[in-house]
This record gives sequence, C-alpha cells and structure tokens, in this order.
Amino acid sequence: MPRTIECDICIIGSGISAALIAEKLTEERDAKVVVVEAGDDAPSLALRPESRRRFRAYGENPWGIDHIEGLTADNIQSRSMMVGGLAMHWGGVTPRFSPEDFRVKSLYGVGNDWPMTYDDLEPFFQEAEERIGVAGEQGPKALDPRSKPFPMPALPLTWNLAQLKQWTDKCEIPMWSQPSAKNSVVYGGRPVCCRNDTCSPVCPIGAKYSPDFTWNRLRSAKAIELMPRTLVKRLVVAEGSNRIDRAEAVNRDRPNESLDFRAKVFVVAGGYAWSPHLLLVSRSSRFPNGVANRSGHVGKYLTGHRNVFAFISLPTRLYPGLNEQHSLVTKAFMRPPKGEKYVRHDLRVWESSVNRRPRLRGDGGRVLLGDELLSDWRARTQQATTRVRAYYDVIPDRWSELVLDDVKRSPWGDPLPKITWRDHPESVELRAHTEDRIKQLFARMAKTGDGQIMRMGVDDFQDHPAGGCRMGNDPATSVVDGYGRAHDHENLFVVGAPTCVSGGCANGTLTFLAISLRQATMIGRDFPAKRAAPKSLRTPEPHGHA
Amino acid sequence: MAITRRTFVGWLAAVAPASRAWAGARQPVLPTAPLDPALVRAVGDAVLPSALGADGMRRATDAFQTWVDGYRPEAEVNHGYGTGTITRTAADPRPRWTQQLTELEAEARRAHGKGFATIGVGDRQTLIRAAIDASAQRRPAGGRTPSANDIASGAQPQTAESLPEIARAPHVAIAVLAHFYESSEATDLCYEAEIGKNQCRPLAAQTQRPTPLARRRG
Repeated sequence: MPRTIECDICIIGSGISAALIAEKLTEERDAKVVVVEAGDDAPSLALRPESRRRFRAYGENPWGIDHIEGLTADNIQSRSMMVGGLAMHWGGVTPRFSPEDFRVKSLYGVGNDWPMTYDDLEPFFQEAEERIGVAGEQGPKALDPRSKPFPMPALPLTWNLAQLKQWTDKCEIPMWSQPSAKNSVVYGGRPVCCRNDTCSPVCPIGAKYSPDFTWNRLRSAKAIELMPRTLVKRLVVAEGSNRIDRAEAVNRDRPNESLDFRAKVFVVAGGYAWSPHLLLVSRSSRFPNGVANRSGHVGKYLTGHRNVFAFISLPTRLYPGLNEQHSLVTKAFMRPPKGEKYVRHDLRVWESSVNRRPRLRGDGGRVLLGDELLSDWRARTQQATTRVRAYYDVIPDRWSELVLDDVKRSPWGDPLPKITWRDHPESVELRAHTEDRIKQLFARMAKTGDGQIMRMGVDDFQDHPAGGCRMGNDPATSVVDGYGRAHDHENLFVVGAPTCVSGGCANGTLTFLAISLRQATMIGRDFPAKRAAPKSLRTPEPHGHA
Repeated sequence: MAITRRTFVGWLAAVAPASRAWAGARQPVLPTAPLDPALVRAVGDAVLPSALGADGMRRATDAFQTWVDGYRPEAEVNHGYGTGTITRTAADPRPRWTQQLTELEAEARRAHGKGFATIGVGDRQTLIRAAIDASAQRRPAGGRTPSANDIASGAQPQTAESLPEIARAPHVAIAVLAHFYESSEATDLCYEAEIGKNQCRPLAAQTQRPTPLARRRG
C-alpha cells in the first residue's frame, strides 16, 4: 500500500507563484495546504555571502544542488529546480505587463486577447508588489497606469543613470527607475539593498525578494507543510468522475516507496515546462492525451519575448560599477503609432563596461604590462558605454510546443519533455520589420547623443518563457479558464506562467504573480474563510511612502 | 611541499563536514602544491601597475595566491536564464602555471645568469612577453551564442586582446593580471575614483558622482 498524505490543497511546485498562492490561501482560508517540490531545499541566507564570494571569484553556482540530474530537455530555458524555483536567482525586475498586452487582438488585430483585462488584474498587480516588496517610480500615468503607489520608494537612479537619463530626455524618450523587488527601505523584515550588484544570481543579504523567505515564514508558522525532494510523477483521475483523485509521487530519498497525495484541490505550479509535462505524462487509457487535454492544447503556445540589444559609445564619462543591474525603463513603445505596422517593445538603458575593460594587447598587438596596461585602460574609459535593450513580443504559435519525448527518459523512467520554439506566421512576417524599427531607434539614440553603435544584435531565444497551459474562455482552444481551473477537471488548477496567453514585451514575473493571486481567489473559494481578520504572515515595515 | 597520507586524511576530515553543511554539491578544494610565492611576486612586480606601490603589489599577488589555493576544478558554474546547459570550471591550472614559473626561472638563468626574481623589472617583462606570445591564446569551451546578458556581464567570447577568465589564462602572468583587473581596487585605480564596484555600499550614495581617489587619500 502506498503511503498517503491527505490535505485540502496540494500545490505541486514551490516557485514564486506557488509561494504567493500558498501565502494568500493560508491567510484567507481554513485549509490544510501541502506543497510538494521535486528539488532540494534552498540554502539558508546565512550561507549566501560565502556563496556569492565563490560565485564572484570562481563563477561557481551559488545555489548548491539546484537541479536534478536527468530532468531536463533540449531547448529548456533554465535548469533551476529547487525550493523557490527559478526565482532564487532571478534579477528581481518587476515591471507590469501593459494594458495593451492583454488586448492585442482587439486593439491591433494581432495575436490573441487574454480572458481578462489589465483593469481586472490591477488589484492583483498591487497585491503582488506588496507581498514581495517592490520599489518603484510612477511613470507617466498614461503609459504606466496604477491605482496605488508602489509599496516602496524607487531605487534611486545612480549617478550614471542620471547622466543617461539626460541623454534619453534629449532623445525625447520618457524613462524612469526600473521597478524592482529589491528593498529601498527595510521591508518584510529584510534589509535595504547595499549594491552588492549580484542580484542575479544571488543577493547576499536578502534585500532582493526570493521565495524562500515566504516559505520559511510559512513553515515557521506551521501554516503549510512543504515536502522537498518529492517528485510528483502523475495525476490520477477518479474513476467515474473527472475529478483528480490523487497525485502519485516518489520521495527521492526512498525511491522504492510509493507515495500518494490526496487532496480536494490540486494546484500545478511547475512553471512553463514542468506543468504541461506533468499533465501530459499523466496519460492513461481513459485520458490517452494526458489530463486536462481534451482540447489537445496542453504544451502548446509556448511564449516569451525576443530582444534586440546594442552597446552605444557616448562622449561622456561614466563610472561603471555604481550599480550595474539597475536600469532606466520606459513603456513609451507599447502602443504602435496609428496607421503603422504592428511593433511593440519595451526599452531599458544600463551603464555598461563593454569595450571599456582592461585588455592584454594594444591596437598593434603588443602585450601590455605594468603601467602600459593601466594607461591603455584609462584612455579607453574617458568615454562611456551604455547598454540598451528592447524586448518585443512574439506571437505564440500552436506548434511552439512541449511534447513528450518517447526516446529520452527521466531517471524514473518517464518520458522527458521535448521543447520546440516557433513564431506564429504573423510574427514571422513582422520580425524583420520589428527588429529594423528597434535598430533604427538605437541608431537615432546614438546619433542624438553624438555617439556610435559599438555592437548590435538579436538574442534569438525567447526570454521569460510562459504558456503551455494557456487560459481562455473557450475549452476548445485553451486548457484552463481565466482563473486557472482546468476546463476538464473541476478540482485541478494550473497557475502562473504556463497559463499566459502571450509573453508580452517585458519581464514576466510580476504578471505571473498577479494572475496567480487572482487564480488563488478561485482555488480558495470553496474553503471556509478565516473568521478572525487574517493575521498576515507578511511583515512589511511602515515606511511613510505616499 | 609533499602532502603525506596523514595530512591528506586530516584535511579530508576537516573539510568534509563543512562542505556538506553549506552546499553538498560542491567539489572540495584539492590539495595541490602551491605556486612558488617568490616567483609569483616577481611576476606581479613586473606586470602590475606601479601606482599600486610595493604594498599594493604584494597585496595583489597574495590575493592571487589565495584565489589559486581556493580553486575547485570541475565545480558547477552558475547557470541562469536562457540555457539548460550545465558547465563546470576548468581543470586545475596550477600544474600549468607551476611549469611556466619554472620556465621563467630557467630562462632568466640562461639569459642573465640570475634567478627570475633578481633580474630587473624590464628584463622580467621581456621574458614574460616572449612567454605570453609563445603561449597559445585559448578560447573557452562551449558553443552557445552569447546573449546580451552574457556580453554585459563580461561572459563574452575571448578575443586576442581581452583578459581571459582567470583559470583559463594560458600563462600565469596573464592569470595574475586577470585576477587583479577583476578587482574593485583595479576599477577604482583606473577611474581614479571611489566606485567600490561589487562592494556593499549605502544605496543612497549611488546618486553621487564617485569621490576622486586623490581627494580621499589627501
């Protein structure tokens, strides 16, 4: 007989979306929540200064055991699989998707609309920002609508960014401080950022939010049970109904012991790759295409955004190293000009030391030693380099997909995922035009600053991947509804990134969190509300920021 | 210094619990004969900028030795967004660098009749230049096209001109340079300003132009 663990809500995966959902549910509902994570526990905060030192000195992975040998796929974007997931080494960059992202079909006749609007999501954006702690500056209201101030004052612009802002002002591009999940004041019991500048991959002091902080609080309060090193292998549908009956798992420390999770509600929170993979690998004679896959859309419409980048030389002096991970941002290009072909993108500007680093050989090829090398370096740093980058949206294609690879198997004998990225024909047709327009923008910016493009290129991969279990109102063309509930199984939810309809033009995490928190309202709906006012497990500090 | 079995077993006993406690996945630092400190200092005096002064050069070469002593070959390298590839640190460079120091010493004795550490800085530079030119510039392993993030973070492909990743330096003198020029101190020296790159500094101070080094020292 398998060992069985019973609970009200079983969350599969412990990344950032799972963390916020668990936190919200435990605050608002009387429900027993169990979280199952295949990877190892995260190293404690106390170990991070030394981990960072070795990362800086030797390039070593600061996260110890953060992936599982044999659980991978060709074209997968990251191997991070541990308590906290990929957000253990994220950069903490937290823009919201823009209102247009949710209505590109209605507004511009391109791609697909989401089954919700920005206004529907706005309170959840705010809630996500408050839960993780976001420091931000209000951009122009017309470009950057929000109903309340950021929970923390913006990270101040560095002296370098202030100089670069003068340049972008001259280019007539409104730019402001990039919203970030990094503390500009003490918040959530965590300290103020002190510019160690290794936010990605590791903040040594915990000024950047990472999900382990939420998990540690919830575990200390015994509000949840979190089981690391436990891999859910498949979901099993109850006989005679479409409800999910149990999740079959294996404890990696006791691989010969069967372990079942039985719950009233199952929440799949495994990100864009492992969520659709779990649904597909749960195939059975009754559900030969996997669970939640009557539409055949599980694993389809993987999405993200591509970027065009440039390094621009400017005739000014900057001091790279003040805070290289902080940037300027704008949403000025989220709306295509009327009557013009569809192009939408964000724009960020950083200080940079590219082509301003010390070098071993001079222009003539002579090896530079001693004072010669330093003099050469000083001469090449009299002018500045700035890095500019624009994420543009890629319209996802049905065949941008994750399927089961029946050749490659996991260490547990299950088919591994096989991932293929593909642009929708609309995007294929738009790609050259989009990239040309962005390159023209960069050229104009360089010219306005009396500078020169040093290097320009396109990153061909799709960043901040999402999709694979997209949401929609039509069960024939989507996997889950607008609240993440599987069309085919009333007690199964998929949350966060995989439910996205499109990848937008900006870092996706905050949007993944907002939709997750909205999904949590439905996940918790059938459980009794806590009678007393919820004693929040969050501990934001008063900061007097208006 | 030869390492006896007793030393090695004692070292293992000391290292194993600590390494388990803080990561579990990390390779232990392997005991290998250290680089000759006198020769490393002699290389440092020849390749580092004079603005460091004698104390600064000594500090830089001591820091390099500490780096060498802490190196773990085949350790897992950080893997971030955009790749599912797991890579590892390079093989232990110490045997290669030890051999190169020995060769510099031998070449100094052949050309000048004296040890490398006792010939003038100009002569040392000549020998080092010849050795660097003779050593093949090696490119790092791996075939992924660098992303904007890679380029911005310095993880871009090596060119003939750039300083390489320290452990992949084809010559020990290049390794000494690469190590020093990665430091916050080197950046401050170049810009003659108190930038404090990668150091823990007050957030509010980032709005100010960095203080000139001369003013601070004065």
